[in-house]
Amino acid sequence: MPKIENVAPTNFSRRSQLYRRHVAAGAAFTKASASAVVAAYSGEHNEVHCAAMLGLADLSSLPRIGFKGSDTTHWLEKRIPRLPSRPNLSKSQDDGGTVARLSATEYLVLGNLTDAPSLPAALQDVSIDSSTQRVYPLPRSDSHAWFALTGTYAPSVLAKLCGVDMRARKFANGNIAQSSLAHINAIILRRDLGTTTCFYILSDTSFAEYLWDAMLDAMAEFDGIPVGILALRALENGISE
Amino acid sequence: MKLLNCPLNGPRNIAEFSYGGELHTMPNPTMCDSREWAEYVFFDRNEAGVVTEWWMHNASAYWFLAERNTITDEVVRTFPASEMFTERVDSINADKA
Repeated sequence: MPKIENVAPTNFSRRSQLYRRHVAAGAAFTKASASAVVAAYSGEHNEVHCAAMLGLADLSSLPRIGFKGSDTTHWLEKRIPRLPSRPNLSKSQDDGGTVARLSATEYLVLGNLTDAPSLPAALQDVSIDSSTQRVYPLPRSDSHAWFALTGTYAPSVLAKLCGVDMRARKFANGNIAQSSLAHINAIILRRDLGTTTCFYILSDTSFAEYLWDAMLDAMAEFDGIPVGILALRALENGISE
Repeated sequence: MKLLNCPLNGPRNIAEFSYGGELHTMPNPTMCDSREWAEYVFFDRNEAGVVTEWWMHNASAYWFLAERNTITDEVVRTFPASEMFTERVDSINADKA
C-alpha cells in the first residue's frame, strides 16, 4: 500500500456528507480533485482483498456534473470522444472517468479516481449560451452522494435492496439502472474496476447517511466493509492483493 | 407485485411511479377565459374506459403517457410524451400570443 499523505477533509471546501463519520472511524485521507477522499480505514484488513470480495467506498467529494436539454448530445459530441449510444448505458473515458446517458437528452459525467484533471472539472468551466442552444448544466456534485460498491458479492447485496436483476450475466458492464434502492431513488451503474465487479451508486445527498448505513447493514452477511480509494485504484490497475 | 412498463427504463414496480393526472390539451393561456383555464387546471373528465394519463418514473424523473382502462385498471400501453409533443408547448403559445 503506498504512503498516505496527511490531509484532512476540513482543508478543503468540498467534502463528503459523511466525512465526520470517516474521521470517527479512523480513516486516513488522500487528496483527489481538490478534496480529501478516504484513502484507507484503520484496521487489520487488507482492503484490496476485501474490496475484491465486498467493499463500499464513499466517492462523494469527487467531481461530477450533469447536462440535459435537447441539444445536449450534439454539444457533448464535440467535447467527449465516446458518448453512450442509448439511454441507460455508460462509457469509460480516456481519463478514467465515466459518462452515463440517463435519457435521450440527459447525461451524467463522473470524474476519475485519481488526483489528475478530470472531465467534469473541464466541462464545468465551459460557458454555455442557453439562449441559442438547449443545454443546461446540472450540479450533480451538490445534489447526489456517490458510493462505489465493489466485489464478487456486490450483485448479491443489490439483490437484497433493489428490484432490478444485477447479476453479471443480466447486467453487463456499462449498464445503468435508475430505480429504487433501499426504498430511495438511486442511479446504479456498473463500472468494473479491472476484473472486479463494481457498481457506482448515486443518490440524493440528504439520504447519504441513511444509504451508507443501509448498504453496510445489507453487506454484513457477506462480511463487507468500508474501503478507501487506494483499494479501488489498486483494483482498477489490476493489483489483486 | 404490480408492474408498469416505463418507456425509458422498462418494467418496474408500480411503487416507483407517481400518477400525474389525465392528459388535457392546454388552452392558450393568453386567449382563453377564466372558466376554460379553471377547467384545464382543476377538472378531470373522469371517464369510465380507456383514458390517457401522465405518469412519472420517480428514480429517473421521466414523465411519460399511459393509456389505461379505468374499469379494469389494465394499462393498454405506455409511450414517450415525444409521440404527442414534438416541440415546446410554451413556444407554441408564444407564437400564437
